[in-house]
Amino acid sequence: MFKSIRKTFLLIPATLMLGSCWELDQEVLDGITQEEVNNSNNPVLIDVLKASAYSRIVGSWGGHNSIWSIYEVSSDEMAIPQKGADWEDGGLWLRAHRHTWQPSDEAFNNSWAYCYTAIGEINNLIVAYRDVQALTAELRVLRALVYSWLIDSFGNVPIVTEDDLDGNPTNNSRQEVFDFIEQSILENVDLLPKSDTKSTLNYYSAHAILAKLYLNAEVYTGTARWADAEAAADVVISGPYSLSSNFFSNFATRNGGSTENILTLPYDENNAGGFNLVQMTLHYSSQATYNLQEQPWNGYASLEEFYNTFDDNDVRKNSFLVGPQFAADGTRLRDISAEADDPDGEPLTFTPEINELAPNAFRQAGARVGKFEFAFGAASSLSNDYPLFRLADMYLTKGEAAFRQGKTDVALAAVNMVRERAGMPAFTSLTLEEIYDERGREMFAEASRRTDQIRFGTWNDPWWEKGASEPFRALFPIPLQQINANPNLTQNPGY
Amino acid sequence: MLVMALILGATLVANAQSRTITGTVLDASFGDPVPGATVLIKGTTRGVATDLDGKFTLDIQSGDQILVVSFVGYLTQEVEIGNQSTITISLEEDIQSLEEAVVIGYGSQDKKEITSAVVGVKPEDFNRGNVSNPAQLLQGKVAGLSITRPGGNPNAGFNIRLRGLSTFGANSSPLIVLDGVIGASLENVDPNDIQSIDVLKDGSAAAIYGARGSSGVILITTTKKGSKDGRAEVSINSFGTLDKAVNLIPVLSAEEFIARGGTDFGSETDWRKELIRDAYSHTTNASVSGGFNNTNYMASVNYRNNNGIVKGSSNERLNTRINLSQGALDNKLRFNVNLSFSTVEANSVNDAAFRYATIYNPTAPIFENTEDANQRFGGYFQRDLFDFFNPVALINQQKFLNEIKTALTSYRVEYDILPALTLSAQYSEDRRNELIGGFWSRQDFQVGFGARGSAERITNDRMQRIFESTLRYEVDLFDGLNLALLGGVGTQTTKNQGFGARSRQFLFDTGWDNLGAGALRIGNFTNMYSYANQDQLNSVFGRANFNYNNFLFFSASVRAETYSGFGPENQTGVFPAFSVGSDFTQIFDMGVFSQFKPRVSYGVTGNLPPSPTLALGVFGNGNRIDLDGDPLSTDDIYVGIVQNSNPNRFLKWETKKEFNAGVDFGIWDNKVTGSMDYYTRNISDLLFNVPVGGGPNIFDPGRFNTVGSTWVNLADLRNAGFEFAASVNGLNLGEVVWTPTGNFTIYQRTQIQSLSASGLGFDELRFATPGSPGQNNNPIIYNRVGETLGDIYGPRLLGISEGGEYILSTTNPDEFERLGNGLPKGEFGFANSFAWRQFTLNFFLRGVWGHDLYNSYRGFYENADGASVTWNSVNTEKTPNNPAVTSTPTFNSSYVENASFVRLDNMELGYNFKTNSPNIGSFRVYFAAQNLFTITNYTGIDPEARVTDAENGDGFTTALSPGIERRNTYFQTRSFTLGLTLNFK
Repeated sequence: MFKSIRKTFLLIPATLMLGSCWELDQEVLDGITQEEVNNSNNPVLIDVLKASAYSRIVGSWGGHNSIWSIYEVSSDEMAIPQKGADWEDGGLWLRAHRHTWQPSDEAFNNSWAYCYTAIGEINNLIVAYRDVQALTAELRVLRALVYSWLIDSFGNVPIVTEDDLDGNPTNNSRQEVFDFIEQSILENVDLLPKSDTKSTLNYYSAHAILAKLYLNAEVYTGTARWADAEAAADVVISGPYSLSSNFFSNFATRNGGSTENILTLPYDENNAGGFNLVQMTLHYSSQATYNLQEQPWNGYASLEEFYNTFDDNDVRKNSFLVGPQFAADGTRLRDISAEADDPDGEPLTFTPEINELAPNAFRQAGARVGKFEFAFGAASSLSNDYPLFRLADMYLTKGEAAFRQGKTDVALAAVNMVRERAGMPAFTSLTLEEIYDERGREMFAEASRRTDQIRFGTWNDPWWEKGASEPFRALFPIPLQQINANPNLTQNPGY
Repeated sequence: MLVMALILGATLVANAQSRTITGTVLDASFGDPVPGATVLIKGTTRGVATDLDGKFTLDIQSGDQILVVSFVGYLTQEVEIGNQSTITISLEEDIQSLEEAVVIGYGSQDKKEITSAVVGVKPEDFNRGNVSNPAQLLQGKVAGLSITRPGGNPNAGFNIRLRGLSTFGANSSPLIVLDGVIGASLENVDPNDIQSIDVLKDGSAAAIYGARGSSGVILITTTKKGSKDGRAEVSINSFGTLDKAVNLIPVLSAEEFIARGGTDFGSETDWRKELIRDAYSHTTNASVSGGFNNTNYMASVNYRNNNGIVKGSSNERLNTRINLSQGALDNKLRFNVNLSFSTVEANSVNDAAFRYATIYNPTAPIFENTEDANQRFGGYFQRDLFDFFNPVALINQQKFLNEIKTALTSYRVEYDILPALTLSAQYSEDRRNELIGGFWSRQDFQVGFGARGSAERITNDRMQRIFESTLRYEVDLFDGLNLALLGGVGTQTTKNQGFGARSRQFLFDTGWDNLGAGALRIGNFTNMYSYANQDQLNSVFGRANFNYNNFLFFSASVRAETYSGFGPENQTGVFPAFSVGSDFTQIFDMGVFSQFKPRVSYGVTGNLPPSPTLALGVFGNGNRIDLDGDPLSTDDIYVGIVQNSNPNRFLKWETKKEFNAGVDFGIWDNKVTGSMDYYTRNISDLLFNVPVGGGPNIFDPGRFNTVGSTWVNLADLRNAGFEFAASVNGLNLGEVVWTPTGNFTIYQRTQIQSLSASGLGFDELRFATPGSPGQNNNPIIYNRVGETLGDIYGPRLLGISEGGEYILSTTNPDEFERLGNGLPKGEFGFANSFAWRQFTLNFFLRGVWGHDLYNSYRGFYENADGASVTWNSVNTEKTPNNPAVTSTPTFNSSYVENASFVRLDNMELGYNFKTNSPNIGSFRVYFAAQNLFTITNYTGIDPEARVTDAENGDGFTTALSPGIERRNTYFQTRSFTLGLTLNFK
């Protein structure tokens, strides 16, 4: 009896099972599978995929706790003072400014992930479209652009190309990364269009990457490449660009028509969010000044010492918001909770002076970043396109490279182009320090200061509430999270 | 069918001999007739079944001496025939068998045969009083089962954890199986309709549920009561409840606030008083049940209207249930239909209001009569200070409504192929539809003002279909060895879908009823989306139970499952289990022991991935892309596609291997019964979204990572625990009968043995920052390999300087010390029931010890620092006042408090009226109170352990950050209930 029962016992489930398949395929209802992408014959698909890869670098660049944040706050042009209970945030931003950061600090991992996820997307696309030459050429240069941030911030990073398909990558030397960037651009630059595309790479913007790479070659590799920097900058200058007569038109809400911007991150409050400077720098009460959709965070401010490197006649001094603040209807804004010992009292006034970095910076202390226009009624995400490369930067690059080769006349001409546009008298003679300060004034809030400080040797100097820092701080640490995730990675020296 | 055969047999031999006897079989306690009872002549196969009136007629042959009368649920009785021609037989209820049948999944077992850790809870042991959720019935009743709901939010669910942590994420609550429907929700069942709840605690018991069983299983059986004689039983239970807010954190009065330097707005407002009300709620449920022949029915309707103590929060619910069963072919073929429906209307408020009500400036007025305030804020007092919103305005100018409709329908058919061989099939559909409305008035300062009015509508729809079929066979293999076999197959599909839309900039506050009135539909504060996903799970399972002479018991089971969401490289999981036990009292004389059954078990269970498409490389929506950059030409605008997750082709189930050793015991003829269990759990391959490096995706060879984290099977955890439960069955103290039951659990906290997977390895994972303002980037929970899970890390407060500055051990996060852990070391529940004449008194004490909580209110708002001119300060017993701390709030050891507590959870006094009415079965009035007192040193809102932290991570790492009491915690309540229960017969 038992035996026959056992047969039935096995038979019936087996019969029932026939109705449904044992192995299961997962259906995807609200996404697109790789197969669907591969099988698509939509003619715009490649363009959309390419633009999607670009959107990776639009991403979080201009938000808080981003690569932009750590570049700016670790330099001498910006800080996030701690306003009592607000902005201590685990000391992360104080450490960033004082150069006492740790590998576990979040901003480093954010920056790293920002770069490498873009590289991943690019590599996947190259693998999928290896034979579409124009596309892969552009993507390789885009990847080189991302590596130009990695070489500058972390230095000895792994090079991951579309052919590096195995296992966990290991560090490459900074020299190798340098060579990889240079080679990627040189091999592909002639395949790029020579047209004025601002949100995608072209022949000129590729040279702009090269110019900045060569300008910092001595820092990156120990070997200066001043002539190459000047030559690359010259290629860009020969392109379809001219300095805007109005400096601030390059940073306006609708700056897509800027003749000066070479490559931009095309932020848009509706379609491509992530540029949150309005929230990051303005005072809580400034909401009423611009009729903002959200209350700002009262964070990023410039240092007084840096503010004072601007001449009062310099139009670029309007890159700062200072002085009494008003609501849109003209009434004076008041911060009724201003600190009792704040000499400015309740009426809201942005003062260049910041009483202290921490813990009790006055809520209204510090010149705010006003270089980018804040549109009336702006959302937390701005629509201003963020310039990664701008012609003025190329002139200054050319000027510095020429000056360092002893070609003072060439340098003067290039630097004065920028200086005169700012309403300042032309230099008649030049020093390295003047070039450094000019770069500071021109490139404020464009994530350039850190690199410049390192190149000009001021990075480890003490300033304001920062003491002298050790030379190894010129490289950011490989993020702890990445070392955890990849045992093949080696930490940068000193950390 | 047995009965049929017997009747047939009896008829065939009827002419053989002499006389006929007639008789009646009655229920001994009530005197009701027992229809369908078997009357058999001992030693023969001749017999009959009683009719509807319990009567039978039987032909007797010479030599027939004894009648054997039996019926399910009654003790079998033997009656000497003698010379009698009419016999009345009174059957005693077999209380033991009625009470001791334990549901184990795909069947039930006698408690004496159970060899794994399974606990059955019957209605008489349920918590009483103001119960709105089935989880409350069990709170504190089952050792190892922790049920918590910090705060008194009527819309909040309960956190249910069995034996501590078994997974990091979403499936950390035990699997609910409702009348055989796997994965049902507790909201599908009303507490009043429950006949029994059985908890499968260990891995061997839960393994029959395979890849869904890792967090334990709670089996709920709804009531099937009903007499057989066609009579209807009607039961009505109605109660009203008053909830009051208790244990509000002390804050400074207006005078104290001004004295400390706070900004004086010239008024005086007790903000919490403005937000809080005495909340009246009521609940009524009615059920009717009955049966005749092979039909049985139960229908119930339950209405509850629960108002929260915070104005604007309420939960109104209607539950309806019909259970119907019908037998055919002499009850060999049985149909069973269970239909349950619920509708819920839940109103809630922005939970930030609780925080603002606590720390908003006490000198501010609620309204100010200025033109500006009237025009911009509807007259409410508002100031554009940082993080500063009038809480009364907040709860009135933002509205959130959630309407939920559920329908759980299940259909079951069983057929006895042979008397001991039963084929059954069950199909169920579990639907849940949620319609959400959100509204921010144009004058709401927090959101609506900037958005110029905003509203949204969301609908989420879930449908789960399960078809399962089983074959059960029971056989006495040879003398004394009973074997029960079960085999089955099942398939389950789940589909989730929904859409949502949000617009802004309204002329009038029309809210979510007319989203089209919002002028802006793209960008900030707007939304438009839809989603859908579906998955399928196929299963094959089998189980064998052996019983040798009621002395030795053995059980083995296995379930194999494939899930569409597993990676293609890991399609099928197999989950075996076995258990063995032996009741020594069956062969040895154990003295006072009436039962002494040691048992051991081992089982493997799993846990499914949180989303079915994680193994695949799915492209999602990227930015909107205008290919030519010219906004005027719209025919070239597309939404970009980006890979939003790194696929993992190797993704599989989590695995939990659990060993359990226990003893069930009964002393003094089962006057005292209880059990002890020790368990260890090894959990591996936990599903977890971990940071990955840039570069090749090692989980999808040939492709690269495009996001910074990948879902992988990672980590090994180990935990263990000891559980003890005992109850004394009715101690007579004079006229008073005392029934105490108690249990306790001692947990060995979860150890992290590794945080590694192929090629990925972590030494620690940090989670959970206290939040804004100023504490955003400092995780306070460090999960380190080799340490316990959820350790709270931070600087130690060494002292306070004369100037009121913190003296901290370090500011370097890498040098932080272990300050505590949010998971309890132990829990106990102690229930007492007293009966004296018509009175009953129940009270229930519950305690949890050894856990810490980060008191966020203290962590942000007790310092006399610069911010204290803006915000009011909390002033607890632990707040240092001499000197007051002037440093800005920084997380440190002083905010991590021991939150051990003992609470009088529940107390109920009832009176049963005597009634002689032929229609009224029982009439009872009761008064109950919940949360009468709590003994604790914790100074926050509620010392209840926090096993998850909703503010942390992506919803799947919440379990990695226990022990944080957030500032948006709903206020604690104390409730008083007056109710009556009336049964008609």
